[in-house]
Amino acid sequence: MEPIRKEELDDQACGSMAPKSKPCPRPKPGEAAGGCSFDGAQITLLPIMDAAHLVHGPVACAGNSWESRGSLSSGPSLSQYGFATDLGNNDIIFGGEKKLRDSIDYIAGRFTPPAIFVYSTCVTALIGEDMDAVCKEASDRLGIPIVPVNSPGFVGSKNLGNRLAGDALLQYVIGTGEPEQETPLGVNLIGEYNIAGEMWDIEKLMNQAGITLLSRITGDARYKEITWAHRAKANMVVCSRALLGLAKQMESKYGIPYFEGSFYGAKETTYSLRQMAFLLNDREMERRVDRLTEREENRLAHDLRPYRKILKGKKAVLYTGGVKSWSVISALKELGIQVVGVGTNKSSDEDVQRIADRVGDDTEYIPEGGASRIIKTVRERKADIMIAGGRNMYVAMKEQIPFVDINQERHKAYAGYEGLLRLAKELVDSMVNPIWKLASSPAPWDKEGSYDR
Amino acid sequence: MTVKRRSKPVSVNPLKIGQSLGGVLAMQGCYRAMPIVHGSQGCSAFPKALLTRHFREPIAVQTSALQEMDVIFDANRNLEEALNAVLSKHRPDIIGIIGTELTDVAGVDYQSMLKSYKRERNMRGGLAFSVTLPDFRGSLESGFSVTVEAMVDELIQQAGLRGQRNVNSRQITLLPGSYLTPGDVMELKEIVSSFGFEVIALPDISTSLSGHLLTGFSPLTRGGVPLDSMLQSLQSGLTIAFGASMERPARRLHNALGTPYKVFQGTMGLKASDELLNFLHQISGVPVPIRYCWQRENLLDCMLDAHFQFAGVSALAALEPDHLRSVSEWLEELGVEQKALVASCETPAVAEMEREVWVGDLDDAEVLGSGADLWISSSHGIAGAERIGAAFLPAGFPIWDELGSYMNVSVGYRGAMEWTNKAGNLLMRREAEHRESRVRHR
Repeated sequence: MEPIRKEELDDQACGSMAPKSKPCPRPKPGEAAGGCSFDGAQITLLPIMDAAHLVHGPVACAGNSWESRGSLSSGPSLSQYGFATDLGNNDIIFGGEKKLRDSIDYIAGRFTPPAIFVYSTCVTALIGEDMDAVCKEASDRLGIPIVPVNSPGFVGSKNLGNRLAGDALLQYVIGTGEPEQETPLGVNLIGEYNIAGEMWDIEKLMNQAGITLLSRITGDARYKEITWAHRAKANMVVCSRALLGLAKQMESKYGIPYFEGSFYGAKETTYSLRQMAFLLNDREMERRVDRLTEREENRLAHDLRPYRKILKGKKAVLYTGGVKSWSVISALKELGIQVVGVGTNKSSDEDVQRIADRVGDDTEYIPEGGASRIIKTVRERKADIMIAGGRNMYVAMKEQIPFVDINQERHKAYAGYEGLLRLAKELVDSMVNPIWKLASSPAPWDKEGSYDR
Repeated sequence: MTVKRRSKPVSVNPLKIGQSLGGVLAMQGCYRAMPIVHGSQGCSAFPKALLTRHFREPIAVQTSALQEMDVIFDANRNLEEALNAVLSKHRPDIIGIIGTELTDVAGVDYQSMLKSYKRERNMRGGLAFSVTLPDFRGSLESGFSVTVEAMVDELIQQAGLRGQRNVNSRQITLLPGSYLTPGDVMELKEIVSSFGFEVIALPDISTSLSGHLLTGFSPLTRGGVPLDSMLQSLQSGLTIAFGASMERPARRLHNALGTPYKVFQGTMGLKASDELLNFLHQISGVPVPIRYCWQRENLLDCMLDAHFQFAGVSALAALEPDHLRSVSEWLEELGVEQKALVASCETPAVAEMEREVWVGDLDDAEVLGSGADLWISSSHGIAGAERIGAAFLPAGFPIWDELGSYMNVSVGYRGAMEWTNKAGNLLMRREAEHRESRVRHR
């Protein structure tokens, strides 16, 4: 894929365009799956590793959700602490603002975090807590940023929560600090959460090309680096649907050009790196990226050979959300795998267009959730493997379908060139495992004519 | 002894799990059941994710998917929609409506809505009930037992219409508490039935969450106690409850049907197992099966072998109330110093324990138990155990750093032996590591 030229970008007039986002569909009672906005906001902000994340509400919103995400840290781990104001009956009747204030003071005093993010929940939103005021007052008093995140669960889906978290960053964090040294070729990654350490592979590639990763938004981030995100020369939106609005607003506010890209698959990785170099507008950089991507692609092609032999002609059903629904297709195609079914449940119109660009005509679109629908597709299309998130993992196991987990709970990094190799290996390991034969053969006494006559 | 709390305004590293999750868990032990969590999407998504992670099984749960405007105007319209969808698509035998903190604070009356819904739809044959489980009260344990209580109530009501009761004195209803694993429930069923009793466990997660290979996907629960067995359990001559929290449902059966009941508060260790087996021996008149006599000796021998390992060792445990009490009794038998006992919430059972019990979070456990050699808690405790340098023994909910923990057995002589060996091995390895590091640094 060729990088888009500057003129085309201007033609599209991205900068002048307000975020064109259709409202997230209303979840259907009795048929809904997936998390709430509170969950989504946490997904986006918890990877800011050195900050404290305080949930204002009854304890279970934090108690049921802390330590459930696979974002890795290279150092500080305060964000892995679960903090909750733990509202009881009386707090709900008389108001929990005092408790919130005391909680913020306690955390600031004991853990001295660079910042505290405070999340509202359904209950605190319902009883009308003025979280913004408490945060502002405490912030002024304590001298550290205290960021209210107004994303109670009942305002909508996980995706909306991602966006609201992005709004909080834009309103309270980005633009409040300056980098320690000037970085003329700095790029921000937006919507990359360092699941299973993926970002580290990407950062290595960027460094090899001489591109500085200025702010991680937010995989393995430190609070400080997000404050100076507005000094970047370009933004790359890695998870396109959720935080696209953030990139668009940074473009209109700070004039930072952005592009949507992915690191799943060699082609997408190469495209993303080249697009970065292009937006940085540096000839030398473009040449360096070309050399790097060529070398990496060659090496990868060589290393992939044994896996491709096994994977060629295999069929997969892909069920995942947002950006992964199309970007993983490219990765699978490079491995010789045909995607015979793909979930479009959480994909925007743009995502669906990108899916259509990448798959054949006979690929089945699975617009709505429901494990039975996915399994039906696997069966009908005789797929060899199912690729989805942890929620569907055990459903696949019960049906004895080989499975690879690609969502936030997984433990393997699939981004970049190294990641594609890892994905290939994982797919092969999963498909050739002896368990499939063992599980499908009956016990000896259940075989016909097995007993002595 | 009184229960203590550390004074701090904020909960740090919560030990408490939402009550509604306990309700969802109880429903998993019923065949073809569907819990509907009346709240926002996350109120069901979080429990689903957490339970899936712990049991490594698909979990049946649905949501009324409340949004802001629904809460303000008419939350029950969503519930009705959810009920319609679930009933027409999946035809479950059992439905449990689980009210959350959101519906509680908003004052939604889903109890009477369910009543009129049942009247209008003429829901015969099935079992539908509602419970109120806001997260700002209780914990997983109370959510579980309250749900079982509501289930029992509904059963009694439904059977009441069908006439009289034929008491079957050879049949026993088991009420296993929320802290028991599918492996535990299986073991308890086996122990009780080895004395010649028919056993109906209510709920029975041992046949739904212990791993099965039934094909043909269904979003309802697979396995668990079927509705007709549940109704049949009303004929039982005796109820045995495990865990103090299960006394209330047992009392419900007693009050309505006159069924006598026995509560075992502790389920771990030699004494607790002795008590159970002797009780079964007394009421059945059947001698204790030879395999348990063997197991008892195995356990005593294992405790003798292990006592070198436990001498002078201190432990902390942070668990749900009933579980904490049970584990504390086992630690007592091993002669382990109990540095800190932390419960997720206060119940009469922990209040009457003879040891000092704290109600708090895992941060309290870390502070109070500093210097302990052994840390017993859910997987949330791993980081804390590392920070204070204690060996980590996973127990309770959720556990994600260990395969097959849902099949671990802690009850009976066999369970006590498994735990004693496991804890002893952890301490042995820890000691070896310390030795090694000494050699390296010289």
